[in-house]
Amino acid sequence: MSSDPVTNTDAAWLVGLLQAGDSFYPTGSYAHSFGLEGLVHEGVIRDRATLREFLFRSVLPSLRQAELPLAAQAWQAFGVEDWTRIGELCRLSAALKAPAELRAASANIGRQRAEFTALLHAHPLAGEYLRRAAAEAWPFAAAVSSALEGRVLGAPRTAVLAGVYYASTASLVSAAMKVLRLGQNASQTLLTEALGAAPGIIAAAEQVPLEEIGWFNPWLDIASARHESADSRMFIS
Amino acid sequence: MAEFSGNLFLRAEGRADGHTVLAGQSFRAPFHLSKPYWDADAGILIVQVVNPTAGILAGDRLESAITVESGAALLVTTPSASRIFKMDDGRSAESRQQFTVAAGGWLEVAPEPLVPHRGSRFRQVTSVEIAPGGGLFFVDQLQPGRVGHDEAWQWERLCLDLTVRLAGEIILRERLDQTGEELRALAALAGSGPAACFANAVLISEETGGNWRDELKQLHRDGLWLGVSALRRGGWSLRLVAPDSVKLRQGLREVRRILAASFPKLGADLRKL
Repeated sequence: MSSDPVTNTDAAWLVGLLQAGDSFYPTGSYAHSFGLEGLVHEGVIRDRATLREFLFRSVLPSLRQAELPLAAQAWQAFGVEDWTRIGELCRLSAALKAPAELRAASANIGRQRAEFTALLHAHPLAGEYLRRAAAEAWPFAAAVSSALEGRVLGAPRTAVLAGVYYASTASLVSAAMKVLRLGQNASQTLLTEALGAAPGIIAAAEQVPLEEIGWFNPWLDIASARHESADSRMFIS
Repeated sequence: MAEFSGNLFLRAEGRADGHTVLAGQSFRAPFHLSKPYWDADAGILIVQVVNPTAGILAGDRLESAITVESGAALLVTTPSASRIFKMDDGRSAESRQQFTVAAGGWLEVAPEPLVPHRGSRFRQVTSVEIAPGGGLFFVDQLQPGRVGHDEAWQWERLCLDLTVRLAGEIILRERLDQTGEELRALAALAGSGPAACFANAVLISEETGGNWRDELKQLHRDGLWLGVSALRRGGWSLRLVAPDSVKLRQGLREVRRILAASFPKLGADLRKL
């Protein structure tokens, strides 16, 4: 039960990753701001400048130290069908997210991605992952499911991490447009700047060992915790 | 200055009369224990862990293991902040802490803050293992440095690593491994100022009811940030950020007061001036 071979010249995995990263793909991520709305409520993020600061001071480092290393480790584990490690990574992903909303966002998106992968590609790896996740009560994790997608498509690790990077930053900037006065030019120039940092961040993330995965932003965690009981809100998280 | 390979081992047991005793204990410098105090009102044994040296120095290797058995209740605290001093020539210090709570046991860990000085390198690895039915309130505090000396966010390396397992399953993992500049910038973005202080708390207990979460949320005001959220199972995570150490101390005092209504062992007096 091995995944498809990695072929960098194969357009099949590339179009598959484009599909999985497209806003048209029903992961449900459009309903989440991943703590951003809470920080807007707290007055921390008010405009493009403060959004940019948040992106570069928190979102990208968090990708480098948490989500991307999780995805990289999961990609390795799926390659050798190390189910013990995959279960550990699912639980670790949940444990790294103290606020319930951030944890639920990852779990819901992760479930959707995994189930869709199984539905669309009928690959035995996806089926086995779903079976074991159910049997052993693993929490779903967006990063782990992205790695599963990549393995099923036969995509190389760096490409999978690039997909996670793009989906994460694009989702955040897209959410920001709904809660801030932020136009197309302002958002796309910011996204382009963030994407420019991708090669260095992905390369660094590939070097993070399992025991060093994690990132600390207490303000984000607090804003997310308070968002759970906010009087009004546009996003689930 | 002298380097220490200090260790501290404590094992708390519940006696038939309901009191808790230290059934096992050993320690080596720089750890030292004050005489334990039984708080009869809260029903908990209070132990102050004292570091008679100036603080944590280059080369120090500290190891502690504290176990609370069924029917015992233990509160471990420190009388003063732990200063982490400047370390030359690439040297560092490390502390490894293991806390274990059996079913029917209760442990509160409430040390005074860590204060990393300019040029310090320190790693703290904390592991908590709780059996189903065990209870815990764990608080870790961090100050950005010697703010009164205009020295903040200037550590060379600071890594605080916490893992909490319930019934053997990981339910919380936190890792602070940022430069002072990275944290200072986040504090500035959030408006917490140049002397922002942090507290991470974990409460593991069965649900007791009460409106303590709503009351805690009301503390989020006047520069104090406070959030509480349920963990995947078994308990809650609390985070506090304050613009200075005084406000953080006041916030934590209020948190314990509110929680004590639902978790009576948190009503114990920490016996601080």
